[in-house]
Amino acid sequence: MISAAGVTRSFLDGDREIPVLRGVDLEVAAGELVAVVGGSGSGKSTLLGVVGALDQGYGGEVVVAGERLRSLGPAARAALRSRRIGFVFQSFNLVPSLPALENVMLPGLLRRGAREPRAALRARAVAVLERVGLASKGSARPARLSGGERQRVAIARAILARPAVLLADEPTGHLDAATGAEVIRLFAELAREGAAVLVVTHEERVSSAAGRVLTLRDGRLG
Amino acid sequence: MRWRALLAVAIGNLRSTPGAALVDATAAAVGAAALVLFVGLGLGIGDAARRMFPADDRLVDVGPPAVSLGGLLGGGRLDEGARARLAALPGVAAAWPRMNLQVPVAAPEPPRGLESAWPPGMTLQIPVVGIDPDMVARDVGRRVPFADPQGGGPIPIVLSRRLLEIYDKTIAPTWGVPGLPPGLDPVGLEMPVDLGRSIVPGRSEARVVAARIRLAGLSDRVPLYAVAVPLDTVRRLHALYRRRDPGYGLVTLLAATPADVPAIAAAVRRMGFSVDESVRATAERVGTVVTITTGALAGLAVLLGALAALAIARSRAASVAVRWREIALLQALGATTGEVRAVVLLEALLVSSAGGVAGAGVGRALAVAGDLAWKRALPDFPFRPDTFFQFPAWLPAAAVALAAGSALLGALAPAQAAARIDPARSLS
Repeated sequence: MISAAGVTRSFLDGDREIPVLRGVDLEVAAGELVAVVGGSGSGKSTLLGVVGALDQGYGGEVVVAGERLRSLGPAARAALRSRRIGFVFQSFNLVPSLPALENVMLPGLLRRGAREPRAALRARAVAVLERVGLASKGSARPARLSGGERQRVAIARAILARPAVLLADEPTGHLDAATGAEVIRLFAELAREGAAVLVVTHEERVSSAAGRVLTLRDGRLG
Repeated sequence: MRWRALLAVAIGNLRSTPGAALVDATAAAVGAAALVLFVGLGLGIGDAARRMFPADDRLVDVGPPAVSLGGLLGGGRLDEGARARLAALPGVAAAWPRMNLQVPVAAPEPPRGLESAWPPGMTLQIPVVGIDPDMVARDVGRRVPFADPQGGGPIPIVLSRRLLEIYDKTIAPTWGVPGLPPGLDPVGLEMPVDLGRSIVPGRSEARVVAARIRLAGLSDRVPLYAVAVPLDTVRRLHALYRRRDPGYGLVTLLAATPADVPAIAAAVRRMGFSVDESVRATAERVGTVVTITTGALAGLAVLLGALAALAIARSRAASVAVRWREIALLQALGATTGEVRAVVLLEALLVSSAGGVAGAGVGRALAVAGDLAWKRALPDFPFRPDTFFQFPAWLPAAAVALAAGSALLGALAPAQAAARIDPARSLS
């Protein structure tokens, strides 16, 4: 599902080029939960941006859900993100002006191609909110939800489109132990259902639940 | 579906920042209100000016030469031959002659039904000019045909439209008599006249004939100072009173277009006739004043629209700067950079359209208030308009379009900044 070979990425700091990824090779199969650990600033989030088709300034080859990212134009990358990739972020990143249910529906509303009737999309959004235990919070805006609830809304949003690939960036970073455990359980469940789940984290409780744990050090995975 | 989602996000963003949305809407409303108010005022003033100084910029009045050897020798006469030559000039669409009646006409009594508007015992000396009926054909209806009655009925007359206004607002108050009844339709009014009678002692004709005149219509093309009758009536009365044909006092040329006028005027002068350009000059002056006034007021409105665009640009830029993470998220969820731009532009469009509609209403309300204030402040005078504003149907639409257009212009840079947000770096 995710295949990265020789991925490099560097950033400019003034005139100086700072290499962050120095030739990363990564394979994540369908149904697999893989954790990438590493210290702060090791490039974990950068790697996630590359395989999530958000970052085009990399070197090497990346194939996600059968699509070679470098060959895709901006619209095709946007379509891939909306159809095949789900994102979960440490800081939830919900749209504050929309209620929880509409936050969950948003990827479906932004989706290109065949249009799903709004009622059907809404029914699916309600179903995924139920799955994450927030059926009664659909009309609440993010500001009225707790941190754990916001993260579960973000997960519901990520899995609405039944993505082939789920990418999570420090998903339990702002959660207490019990809520974090619930989130990890959800990721494991999604992997069992066939999704390729890649979680970058520095928390041991996440990595201990993963099938494989890879360490990013000096820009390389080991 | 995508557009509905983008619209929902845009509306949500506006709702979540009501203060900024209100400032943007107010800025747009000010621009729209200014456009409605100022352009409405410019159009209203223009309309009032045109009614006050009615002039057709296609008309050229041709008179006989002031002094010429030809005139002394009998040449240079403005007669039918000269009229035909003038009519044949390039760019001339029509040539309408005028002839002053050489016989005095006096009115000893008022028109029937208007006795109260006539000072007791007054006899009015009436200057009469004969005109080509085609000249006023557009202003005269079928109720009273404007043709010589051949001595078999009232003589049809046409008055200057301005004369009634001047009578009502200036002459009647001076005479201390009531003005014309409100809503009066003067067409068809009849008045007895004495043909051959003069109020100047010793100047009446030996033969005074009682007749009647009947108003056929009002026109801006007849002189303010005279009663216009059909040219054939003047010729008939000259024959009746054995007057020698005096020739035409004036021939009015109608140019095909205003652009033809200078060449026509030059050709007329080459023929040895004089050109009275006062009518055209008035038309040009009025047109220039109206254009400058309307243009200046519209320019002021556009300036306010530009200031609104600047305010909206600052506000949207601030909003984008605050919402960078949310904008990055939209991209992560499948929005293209174009759609990110669209969200920012939609926000500007929504808020400015609402502001524009409100502003158009406010502009209209201010105009109504202005009219009320002026009606109280200004004394009555001839041609005082009922309103100083004109609101054609396109004006509110133009105001909303100006508000929306200026807001979109102002939002272009913030939209571009939003599209440049790097989702990979913003969301990590």
